[in-house]
Amino acid sequence: MLRGLLICSLPALLASTAGAQESKPVESDWWAYQPVVRPAVPVLENMSWVRSPIDAFILAGLEAKGLQPAPPADRHALLRRVTYDLTGLPPTQTEIDAFIADESPDAYAKVLDRLLASQQYGVKWAQHWLDLVRYAETEGYERDNKKPFVWRYRDWVVDALNADMPYGDFVTKQLAGDELPDAKVADHIATGFFRLGTWDDEPTDRPQHLYDDYDGMADTTARGMLAISMGCARCHDHKKDPLPHRDYHSFLSFFENVAPYDMRAREMPLDGAKVQYDEAMKAYRASRGVVQEKLKLRAREADRAALELASSGIPSKVTASPHVASYSGDEASPTELLDAYGNNGTVHGQVVQVDGKRGQALRFDGDDHCRIPRIVENSFTVSFFVRTKQRGNGQSGDTRWFTGTGLVDGEVPGIVDDWGISWHSDGIISAGTGKPEKFVASGPGYNDGEWHHVAFTRDQESGRIVLYVDGQLVGEARGSKRSLNSPEDIVIGRMRPGGAGFKGDIDELSFYKAALTQPQVIALSCDAAHGIFAAPFFAEETLVNELNALRSPKIETVQVLAVLERGRDAPDAFIRLRGNVHAKGEQVPVGVPEMLGEPRLAPFEKLEHSSGRRLALASWIVRPDNRLTWRVIANRLWQHHFGRGIVSSSNDFGVLGTRPTHPKLLDWLACEVVEQGSSLKAMHRVMMMSSTYRMSSQASEKGLAEDPLNDSFWRFNRRRLTAEEVRDSILTANGTINLELGGPSVYPPLPRAVLLTASRPDAAWGQSNARQAARRSIYIHVKRSLPEPLLAAFDRADTDASCPVRFATVQPTQALSMINGDFANLQAQRFADRLMLEQKDMASRLHRALQLVSQREPTKVDLQRLQQLAGELQGEFGRSELQALQRCCLVLLNCNEFLFID
Amino acid sequence: MKFPNNRFSSGRSPGDLCGHTRREFLWQTGAGFTSLGLIDTLTRDGFFDKLDRKSGGEGGPLAPKAPHHAPKAKACIFLFMYGGPSHVDTFDYKPKLYPLDGKTIDIKTKGRGGSKAKGRVVGPKWKFKQYGECGKYVSDLFPHVGRYVDDMAFVHSMYADSPLHGSAMLMMNSGRIFSGAPCLGSWVNYGLGTENQNLPGFVVMLDKSGGPISGAKNWHSGYMPAVYQGTVLRPSGEPILDLNVPDGMSDREQRRLLDALKEQNEAHLSSRSDDSDLAARIQSYELAYRMQSHAPEAIDIANEDQSTKDLYGIDDPKTEDFGRKCLLARRMVERGVRFIQIYSGGNHNDHNWDAHGDLEDNHNKHAGATDKPIAGLLADLKQRGLLDSTIVVWGGEFGRQPTAEYAKGTGRDHNSAGFTMWLAGGGIKKGVSIGTTDELGNEAVEKPMHVKHLHATILHQMGLDPNRLSYFHAGLAQRLVGTEGAKPISDLIA
Repeated sequence: MLRGLLICSLPALLASTAGAQESKPVESDWWAYQPVVRPAVPVLENMSWVRSPIDAFILAGLEAKGLQPAPPADRHALLRRVTYDLTGLPPTQTEIDAFIADESPDAYAKVLDRLLASQQYGVKWAQHWLDLVRYAETEGYERDNKKPFVWRYRDWVVDALNADMPYGDFVTKQLAGDELPDAKVADHIATGFFRLGTWDDEPTDRPQHLYDDYDGMADTTARGMLAISMGCARCHDHKKDPLPHRDYHSFLSFFENVAPYDMRAREMPLDGAKVQYDEAMKAYRASRGVVQEKLKLRAREADRAALELASSGIPSKVTASPHVASYSGDEASPTELLDAYGNNGTVHGQVVQVDGKRGQALRFDGDDHCRIPRIVENSFTVSFFVRTKQRGNGQSGDTRWFTGTGLVDGEVPGIVDDWGISWHSDGIISAGTGKPEKFVASGPGYNDGEWHHVAFTRDQESGRIVLYVDGQLVGEARGSKRSLNSPEDIVIGRMRPGGAGFKGDIDELSFYKAALTQPQVIALSCDAAHGIFAAPFFAEETLVNELNALRSPKIETVQVLAVLERGRDAPDAFIRLRGNVHAKGEQVPVGVPEMLGEPRLAPFEKLEHSSGRRLALASWIVRPDNRLTWRVIANRLWQHHFGRGIVSSSNDFGVLGTRPTHPKLLDWLACEVVEQGSSLKAMHRVMMMSSTYRMSSQASEKGLAEDPLNDSFWRFNRRRLTAEEVRDSILTANGTINLELGGPSVYPPLPRAVLLTASRPDAAWGQSNARQAARRSIYIHVKRSLPEPLLAAFDRADTDASCPVRFATVQPTQALSMINGDFANLQAQRFADRLMLEQKDMASRLHRALQLVSQREPTKVDLQRLQQLAGELQGEFGRSELQALQRCCLVLLNCNEFLFID
Repeated sequence: MKFPNNRFSSGRSPGDLCGHTRREFLWQTGAGFTSLGLIDTLTRDGFFDKLDRKSGGEGGPLAPKAPHHAPKAKACIFLFMYGGPSHVDTFDYKPKLYPLDGKTIDIKTKGRGGSKAKGRVVGPKWKFKQYGECGKYVSDLFPHVGRYVDDMAFVHSMYADSPLHGSAMLMMNSGRIFSGAPCLGSWVNYGLGTENQNLPGFVVMLDKSGGPISGAKNWHSGYMPAVYQGTVLRPSGEPILDLNVPDGMSDREQRRLLDALKEQNEAHLSSRSDDSDLAARIQSYELAYRMQSHAPEAIDIANEDQSTKDLYGIDDPKTEDFGRKCLLARRMVERGVRFIQIYSGGNHNDHNWDAHGDLEDNHNKHAGATDKPIAGLLADLKQRGLLDSTIVVWGGEFGRQPTAEYAKGTGRDHNSAGFTMWLAGGGIKKGVSIGTTDELGNEAVEKPMHVKHLHATILHQMGLDPNRLSYFHAGLAQRLVGTEGAKPISDLIA
């Protein structure tokens, strides 16, 4: 079933095809689609209240209604307000005392500077953005898998805001960070923006599902950055806005080259790591060369000795050899791979012969492979030479052999008695045995087009497995002691179960029925004439140690969940009738909605790895003369400072949205954003320095009568703490909050009853230690199928769609969790513990407790009330001092004064 | 509290295809805006209906609201057979399937194993018998339920959009295969409010083995406020999360704390008396306090007589768990809870009806645990005169294929192209069967009924017009039945 069919009305479906045929120019006189012009600031008779142009606009509106602005908020209330608004936390007592005592005229401005410089600013404001972009850390649906490393995107948003990244860059990097010239790792992380939506890993209609994912990207971009509601136009011409069906599909095409989300992170070199790595690699090669020269000398000695032995006519003492198979590659056959011992294999595809390490070698082109009998299963050695410039399958963060490209492989799916050797990611050689699975891998960089010798030994008695490359021991482990008899045969040049094949050359593949010693392996790696019998020439300990000490450098990488395009050539865009991906309509150009007039999308070119479409879109969005972008962000800033946007439907500036209450003020602010280089911190100052922001939230009779909705901003809007602020404030009151920034998300304990709602109750949630569990709420793992109950009760945003405005409900389940819940009671206990330590008697403890929840000086009445309660609890209810205090703390954490900001 | 009643869309006038008015979402955009008596303005604007206004301070989102039309059902009990019960082994009798057992035939199926053109038939593993005056065939899996066929209506021609659990569960609960929409129970509470403010209006009882896949998404309120989401009710111990007073605290002591809180809050309110949110929050503690006594009473079955307990099979370990939940469902209905959902099956694989391996073992287990309790529920509702005003719904997210999923064994793959659900009570016709699947039970052929038609029927019986009940979100008037609408299944309505 199609999303389109579900959201659109039938008559509209019928109308849609007709509408799509026409392409008459779209015009609109709707306010939001007109160019932004800086309006004149009103000049008023009484300018004494006016601190900034904002105040002039507001006061002009008030005067028109015959209203007076509310008096200024008192300093306690104001400090509490600004501190929560900018950091989501209450001010500390020291901060309160300092502000109250500071009589300098710039006392308030200094507070703003201090708060804007705080790292906690980014934490608070990131959440506003995360709500818009549907930030969650799992996919949803049946398995609700984790999105790997998605938290790096969250950290990127926090960091970007803390660094006051210009809003234009902030948007550009999220939409097209990867398309920027010299993109840094952080720029790729920013494009995690595209990977935040729900994703069904088992969709009923895969192409449609992919298309729905694009719709989610387009929708989030349109709402979040442009406040355009495009949903209607997916299936038919928008019925209210001048947004035709075709414009939706033109807009969608910006995203249609994005590679489908495959639930994987990508590994990326750290910034500058490639340069460092290349240098380190050069040094490594030099020292390896020195050792190899020494080995060559020994090999020549060995060959000479062998020659002498042969010419002397004395028969060799050694007769029993563990050598059991030898595929030299020298004998040509299109169908058979010949073994000197008769274990002939088969050739599948076109394996050709090329000049080898010795004689001829086998060349694999990726589409072919050979199969040979499973000659060994207990103790053994596999030895061969390999040469290629190609990368292998897999990622260097996960070098389990079977994730690579098979070289000599006996992989059998499942945890069974198998083994194999593969060519992995950045020229790594990996090997391992199954049941239990054990792996050994080399460093990267063997994809240098030179011959390298590989030996993998396995000793059944000890379970020891060792991997040697060019005679060097590069990895060892203890694995299974069982017979490795699961594979029916062994495949050369591909993984045994299938998959992409190896591209490169293999020579002198030999099997031995014993785990060879390192000197024996070195002898083979030097291609000594007598093979393993030359071992005594390579047995000198210092030489072996020198060889083993060589360490290839490792490139420093980071796992990133980022966008990727399918290449430079994006598909043509088509109208999809009724939003159905299978119903192709006429072709449409890549473009932005026509109703927005000038500027149009600038011509753009393909980039090295991508279509360039997203960068073109981003460049258009952040143009200073874009008609929506700056209004939209100015409105959001206003919303989060003043309780509602100037346009209260902050994701929809269209005809279905609400009109601005102060259109001129909005345009003035939009111009100001551009003027200030789109610095959000500058805009916070502009707004918060105004008299309008500094008003009291107290009502006046006239105000309530004339303008009960406060449309004209005659007073400041009181607000409830957000879900995150509720929890963070509790942890702040009791002093346990951990203000550390960033990193993987944490798992504060959940009640068992909540875990039991998950389909796998014991695997549903993680564990964090107490210190980590006390991190700020933004760092709690966001699992779509298992919302954190306290945050959910206090109206945390639903993450399945862009959320511009949170609900602020009042409901009894909130009360239940706050009076009976484990979390509230435990935190009240810690609150009491803190007070016991910090203060000497009940009166001072209660005094301090009141200060900590209200950020003001308690009145006598407040104190008396609490003292009476504490007294009764200790007397009538027989509670200890600590228990009584815990209960008083619980009451205080439930106070309206604690949960609301004047 | 400022809450919407935006359920009455302005109709379907041709010029207003998205079917909503500006007013309807005014509240929504202002919903994050806590400091004003918006409710007054909207009331003056005719936005809230009279019941909202009458309910005053304790009104809010769950205050009872007038239905669109006179309801037949006051409550709905949805018995969710999670995992997908096999219709051809339960209520959809297919005699032609038995002799084909083990034969590979040409048949088009789509399930977990993808789309197939051939399949090995698994003959039904149970015999069917006729029951009641209507002579309905029911398999030996449901001998107790069989006795009530004359009160039931079967829809054999159900189909859904997805044969895969993740999306199919979302569809059966929220009408869409996409995550993020409110569930049926949320729509009912949004549309009607709740009769009993001391209990949640939408409760969900989960299986002992865990929740269904996607967990909370199955009772989530999606884009609506959290107040409309289902509350998980546990049949014993603490019935609702955080309902119990903390260990070591007496009820009297808690009352004292709440009184102190009230005093503190009222002092705070005295200089802010215009703020209805502050007042509402004070009230919410009283409501919570009342829930603490009402909810445990609602789940306390000590006073139920033995014959009632026997009816539900509460003394038999096999049926005890589901039986208790069914009994609680009746008690919830008596106390004015609108929507009750009980899951049979949880977790993954054979913990629920998802019989991919051994069909007999799986279905014997789950039918064995539910047959008697379900029959008991029907009998009990009937004897108390509650069945007429309570709509009982039985079914899973889909059914199962007539053919095997694997080369060996009796397991069946998922089938969303045709399956059976049944309804009883609440003004539903008695002893009827509607629609058919083909003779092998593979696909709905006669009168195919989509999940949205089932949803429309339930809403309709509860007094709500499925095509008018809308919620403005993301630029669209959203409906449970989709914007294109759906009619109730008229053949089902008495």
